[in-house]
Amino acid sequence: MSEPSVGREPLIRLEHVSRRYVRGVDEVHALEDCSLEVSQGRFAAFMGPSGSGKSTLLNLVSGIDRPSDGRVFVSGQLLNELDEDELAAWRARHVGLIFQFFNLIPVLSARDNVALPLLLSDLSRAERTRRAEIALRVVGLEHRVDHSPRTLSGGEQQRVAIARALVSDPDLIVADEPTGDLDAKNAEATLDLLRQLKEEFGKTVVMVTHDPRALRFVDQVFHLDKGLLLEGEEARRAHDALALAAGGPVRAREV
Amino acid sequence: MLPISYSLGNVVARPGRSLVLVTVVALVVIACSLFLGLLTSLRRTVGLTGNELNLVVLRKGSDNDGASQITTAAYDSIRYLEGIAIGPAGERLVSPELVVQPFFRTRTGGRENVLVRGIEPTAYLVHDDVKIVEGRMARPRLGEVVIGRAVRGRYEGAELGETLEFGRGRWRVVGVFESDGSSFESEVWADAQDLASDARRMNPYSGVRLRAAGEDDLSALKERIDSDPRFALEASRETDYYAKQAETSASLTFLVVAIAVLAGTGAGFGAANTMYAAVQARTAEIGTLRALGFPRAAILISFEVESLVLSVAGFALGALLTLALAEVLRFALGGIAFGARTFTTQVVTLSIAPEDLAISFGLSVAIGVVGGFGPAWRAAKLRPIEALRKA
Repeated sequence: MSEPSVGREPLIRLEHVSRRYVRGVDEVHALEDCSLEVSQGRFAAFMGPSGSGKSTLLNLVSGIDRPSDGRVFVSGQLLNELDEDELAAWRARHVGLIFQFFNLIPVLSARDNVALPLLLSDLSRAERTRRAEIALRVVGLEHRVDHSPRTLSGGEQQRVAIARALVSDPDLIVADEPTGDLDAKNAEATLDLLRQLKEEFGKTVVMVTHDPRALRFVDQVFHLDKGLLLEGEEARRAHDALALAAGGPVRAREV
Repeated sequence: MLPISYSLGNVVARPGRSLVLVTVVALVVIACSLFLGLLTSLRRTVGLTGNELNLVVLRKGSDNDGASQITTAAYDSIRYLEGIAIGPAGERLVSPELVVQPFFRTRTGGRENVLVRGIEPTAYLVHDDVKIVEGRMARPRLGEVVIGRAVRGRYEGAELGETLEFGRGRWRVVGVFESDGSSFESEVWADAQDLASDARRMNPYSGVRLRAAGEDDLSALKERIDSDPRFALEASRETDYYAKQAETSASLTFLVVAIAVLAGTGAGFGAANTMYAAVQARTAEIGTLRALGFPRAAILISFEVESLVLSVAGFALGALLTLALAEVLRFALGGIAFGARTFTTQVVTLSIAPEDLAISFGLSVAIGVVGGFGPAWRAAKLRPIEALRKA
């Protein structure tokens, strides 16, 4: 059942969301009582040290994982009520995914990798190819369409992955440590590209990172630590520390 | 659904792993196709023999020519029965025959029982598929024989113009005959009187073959012969007689099926093993595809397709090698000898029929689908969040 998406309805809304799982004999509290909202057309970052719960949060928002407690709404859809295959179909329509290690399919060309999500649509083969080539042009790789991922550099592979995330025109683009496996130059280029997706295509972009450079590109930052979303003074302190590490003016004002 | 190029790409991407499975399936295909080919060749040879309108008349209780004897009086009681077909020159199509089974020495030094059939000239009319293709017919009382195509060259002296030694005499080969690949081609035909005196038989005949004028006549003749209390004879349709001889191959069929099942099961485990390795190696990739929104069915099908592509490639390789091997065997061995139920040698020419390959194809598909199912199911069941952690 989808909630009406009207006016200022945020694209992402989490209500008291927790995620716990059992590892061996221990119960791990990956995320505890997290509530947040991200409006349509924003570029938001989940930041925090390893084990802070930022990736867990991202997986819940993208519908790859399910909460133990609480409710997750994205694009007006309550994700809790979808089963595995419904969730997969929902992701195909609404979410573009970008991974730290690019996760391209090695046996497919750049074009076929980008066209992959379109196989889940009713588009003709010619239309799928056309859209994949447009997406590759957006990320500046129109000269690499027939290359296999193996023959592309790390930065190029991540741009193919971004094109793949973009090709199905999703509401939400989700990136997990997109700069984690890139050098400084490619990391900046990737962050810039993500920002363009927001500015030029009106996409909502949510990213997990511990790259302080991200602060110069995002609109909104959520700081996490030990499974908790930091608020007030704690959040401000975490933000200042990162801003210092970034060594320059930061764009994100909201914390 | 994932594109076929994804499954094909993965088959090519790991050539070593793919080649192992292709080879295993190919070996299974070779083993099964050759055995099946041999079996169907044997069945075809025996099954082709006989005419629908011919009756085989033997002494009651004898299940083959070699075990039967009938008296001249018994022959006389049959030859003028009503309903027997009449030949072009007005002759009655009745062929009294004597069968003996001497040992022949093969050219490779072995010894085999060969069916030698003593005949009268009417035999060529009753067995009208038998055609002299080289030389001429044997003349009576001169110690001449004609030999079947499968006998030629297999035994010492079994060549046109040469002399065969069996029984007490020496027999000059004056002709070679064919009979569309039937088991007559594994026989030597001599004059009945010559053969009877050589074998010192009191009764010159083992049995009688006759051609009925029509289907109704055949039934009437059979009835008449079976119910005559004087001579204790039994008539059976010639095609039924040879079909019964072909039952020898039943235990052989069981053996071939057992081999196919065992080899197929082994190859199925091979396929499962290969595909489990593929799932293991591509867990993160499966996670990615699931995260992108591909349903479980798409993953299941793509891994099944991959397994199927490999097993069908195995079939293709195996089928080619089988056909080549059959050609080599045919060339090297000429024919393959089977001991038939009559204790004579049935020489079978190995040929792989499309049905033999079709069965092997079915087996290959089963290996791919069944062997690939477990791994494909495992891949499909992976939750994206867990699969992605393997990246």
